[in-house]
Amino acid sequence: MNSSPPLLSVQGLEVHFPITSGVLLDRRVGEVRAVDGVDFSVSRGETLGLVGESGCGKSTTGKAILRLVEPTAGSVVFDGVDVVGASGRGLRSLRRRMQMIFQDPYSSLDPRQSVSSILAEPLRTHGLADGRSAIEAEVRRLLDAVGLPASAGGRYPHEFSGGQRQRIGIARALASQPDLIVADEPVSALDVSIQAQVVNLLEELQKEFGLTYLVVAHDLAVVRHMSDRVAVMYLGRLVEVAPSDALYARPLHPYTIALLSAIPIPDPVLEDRRSRILLSGDLPSPAAPPPGCRFHTRCPFRQATRCHDEVPALRALHEGHTVACHYAEEIEAGSILAG
Amino acid sequence: MSLAAAEAAALVVEEGGSLRRDAWQRLRRNPSAIMGAALIVVFVAVAVLAPVLAPYSPRAADLSGIRPGFVPGPSAAHWLGLDQQGRDELSRILYGARYSLLIGVVSLGLGASVGMLLGALAGAFGGWVDNLLMRLMDVMLAIPGLLFAIAVAAVLGRKLSSVMIAIAVVNVPIFARLLRSSMLSQRESDYVVAARSIGVSRWRIVVNHILPNAVAPVIVQATLALATAIIDAAGLAFLGLGSADPGTPEWGRMLAETQRYLQSSPQLAIFPGLAIVLSVVGFNLLGEALREALDPKLRR
Amino acid sequence: MTVSAAPLLEVSDLRVVFRRRGRADVVAVDGVSLTVEASSTVGIVGESGCGKSVTSLAVLGLLPRRGVEVTGSVRFRGEELLGRSESALAAIRGRELAMVFQDPMTSLNPVLTIGRQITEVLERHKSLAGADARAEAARLLSAVGISDGVRRLRQYPHQLSGGMRQRVMIAIALACQPVMLIADEPTTALDVTIQAQILELLRRLVIDSSSALVLITHDLGVIAGTAEVVHVMYAGRIVESASRRELFARPRHPYTAGLLASVPRLDQPRSDALHPIAGSPRDTLPWSSGCAFAPRCPRRLAECTDGAPALVADGFGHELRCINPVPVEVASP
Repeated sequence: MNSSPPLLSVQGLEVHFPITSGVLLDRRVGEVRAVDGVDFSVSRGETLGLVGESGCGKSTTGKAILRLVEPTAGSVVFDGVDVVGASGRGLRSLRRRMQMIFQDPYSSLDPRQSVSSILAEPLRTHGLADGRSAIEAEVRRLLDAVGLPASAGGRYPHEFSGGQRQRIGIARALASQPDLIVADEPVSALDVSIQAQVVNLLEELQKEFGLTYLVVAHDLAVVRHMSDRVAVMYLGRLVEVAPSDALYARPLHPYTIALLSAIPIPDPVLEDRRSRILLSGDLPSPAAPPPGCRFHTRCPFRQATRCHDEVPALRALHEGHTVACHYAEEIEAGSILAG
Repeated sequence: MSLAAAEAAALVVEEGGSLRRDAWQRLRRNPSAIMGAALIVVFVAVAVLAPVLAPYSPRAADLSGIRPGFVPGPSAAHWLGLDQQGRDELSRILYGARYSLLIGVVSLGLGASVGMLLGALAGAFGGWVDNLLMRLMDVMLAIPGLLFAIAVAAVLGRKLSSVMIAIAVVNVPIFARLLRSSMLSQRESDYVVAARSIGVSRWRIVVNHILPNAVAPVIVQATLALATAIIDAAGLAFLGLGSADPGTPEWGRMLAETQRYLQSSPQLAIFPGLAIVLSVVGFNLLGEALREALDPKLRR
Repeated sequence: MTVSAAPLLEVSDLRVVFRRRGRADVVAVDGVSLTVEASSTVGIVGESGCGKSVTSLAVLGLLPRRGVEVTGSVRFRGEELLGRSESALAAIRGRELAMVFQDPMTSLNPVLTIGRQITEVLERHKSLAGADARAEAARLLSAVGISDGVRRLRQYPHQLSGGMRQRVMIAIALACQPVMLIADEPTTALDVTIQAQILELLRRLVIDSSSALVLITHDLGVIAGTAEVVHVMYAGRIVESASRRELFARPRHPYTAGLLASVPRLDQPRSDALHPIAGSPRDTLPWSSGCAFAPRCPRRLAECTDGAPALVADGFGHELRCINPVPVEVASP
């Protein structure tokens, strides 16, 4: 474990969206608790994967870290600097060091800007290159880093395929020479045969530029491949955090277990043999999360006591492996079975 | 980098160039666009060159050929015949284009500019500014255009400028709301979020990213609104709200003055009516074609 | 592939061309032939643009009439479907041949209640009406795992979650016990735990009703758990067909092999780097010039650009469209 202070430290992060109703003036009638108390840290050079299904709050967490969405509570500290309270020039210089890669390669690039212009924008905003020739040289360097030819600069986003557009988005994120990149579903909108190319590119770039990644995704296989550690989210809270291999080999939280058993594997023999743990019902609404353990309404291991009224804390069961479940030890030992 | 080589080989360019060029290509291929553009070109040319093209002065009256119930129709000397005051119909139609074009362009230009400015402010600032401006626009929209035009004419007198002001004011809320809603929908786009994540200042985001992408539906609306403005001007003149000068060769006015000749000399109403229809159709065709050409969903 | 009775669906040399004014034609489907036996499960797998969805739409006659040219033959229960009138097709659709689409939000009418949308099908094909239709609709909802059916009937699509909407779509599709169900990316828009539920539901229902299922997807994992026979499509043609186990154990077409090799797998140790297929789906040759996959193929030979390879049986249980496929010894695990 890294003894130096983490690059990114998130504590008690909450993002609540108000639900308003009213004709002339909006009244707050409730709130969607998209992120409801999340703690984690990311060390320099590490890749942390944040997984969960839709509505779990992982995307919102990523955006909140970058202040693209305002946290309603909690703290985010980046390299010793408070992010939540930053403003003006302080926020701007933080923005230079923390960048984002977006999910949809079709909507994340301004269709009216040429590729050079898109890549030049961060350079100009932060004064990283002076004069046209310096900017052009830097744009060429960025294009080369992501495997695009220099001629791409004069073209427009709609002339490229999805995978190429995603590369442009990656080049844009690299332009300001950031320390941290939050990748929000970086490959899920791409064809399968292209995903591997982009994943490889991201890993090469990480080694080449010493980047730190927070990968937010729902595809557990991709996340496992890319990440050193993985955090699993459910309905606004973390339920399990563990090193990549340990999470797959020995999932401890019932939700993680169900999630892993649900993922189809391209091997018919394995598929036929697997016993799936099917979750019942649908995801509860983030505006009205269940009391106690949020997962208890669908948990196949639910017990009669504690689950429905006591909120489980994230606690360490093994070295570096934390779970938020009252009965994690029993489940691991096999003394409690899926009901 | 072998990967780069593969990517370079993969750079299949279907349509080169910016979106503007892409839209232009689509426009060029569209028959309605060509027809519309042709009609507009004729309209503008006639308006500009009327003094050169018109064989006679539009106000020169020759009453010698006029008898009660009879107005001379088309002849070799007067291609469209004479009107009820003995004036050359063709010259009046040609000069009428000037008035229509003038009113249309000026009133629309004024209304659209003011409207777009207000809409841009509302869209850029949001919050109470947006709220205030939109409530103001709601009030303006609630006033019937015709009543407003009559009120303006009552206050400022029966002049061409009254008509122009009335039409301009009617257009302000339309363009304000259009630009504002277009900006709002662009604001939710990922690329705007991306610009924020880079640290681009809010002002620059509005000017460099949101406005250029929000402008397309406004261009379409402007073209269509020009058609409406011409009809509105003609309509107001028909109702007597336009210029007080009886000799004005304005199409709408000509329609009003020739109502009682419909049985005996219908051509006096048909010619100005046709002129209005053709010019309006031209703008409509082009406007619809522009809408298609600029529609991002039809791309690729 | 043994054929006992006549196949339920026989597609022969299906070709779909989209004609665009002022631009080049797009050949979405370029000579696809396949059969579906009664009560079997067939999977069609491929990436975006390979023509798998267009194939299913062509089979059901759901492509627009103008600007689209459909040639070839589609025989369902011995009768030719291509070129039939809309009313003739409408009589078959829903009753004998049903389809489930990818996005239940756009395939369900947002302004009609769930109940109305189900009873609509029952009224059309089974002449049920009123209370009888509603009772049957409620029964269908419980068959697809939606509890409290009577209350749900009165709800609108936006009040249901994605998984429930997809169940409703399946209920509508199965309302008249069709002999064949085509499911086009039925779980792509859903979360993985919901996907598992829906796939399990589809599997069970198909077994219970003995209907045939054609599952179209880009997800190899989904196919691995569901289909009996798998067809792999690329650039509008089938490039490999095999039984499920054969295909995954010994993928022979370089595209299939490349696809399987490029996906990170939970059942295998983490590798240092993934093995992608070079280039992008846009780098294809037209089949008329040669093998469409040649620009990206690691096993490309000079002859590959001489002309399109035909789909031939390889003697190991595969039908392949390749002149230099992965050898059997190497492909085996």
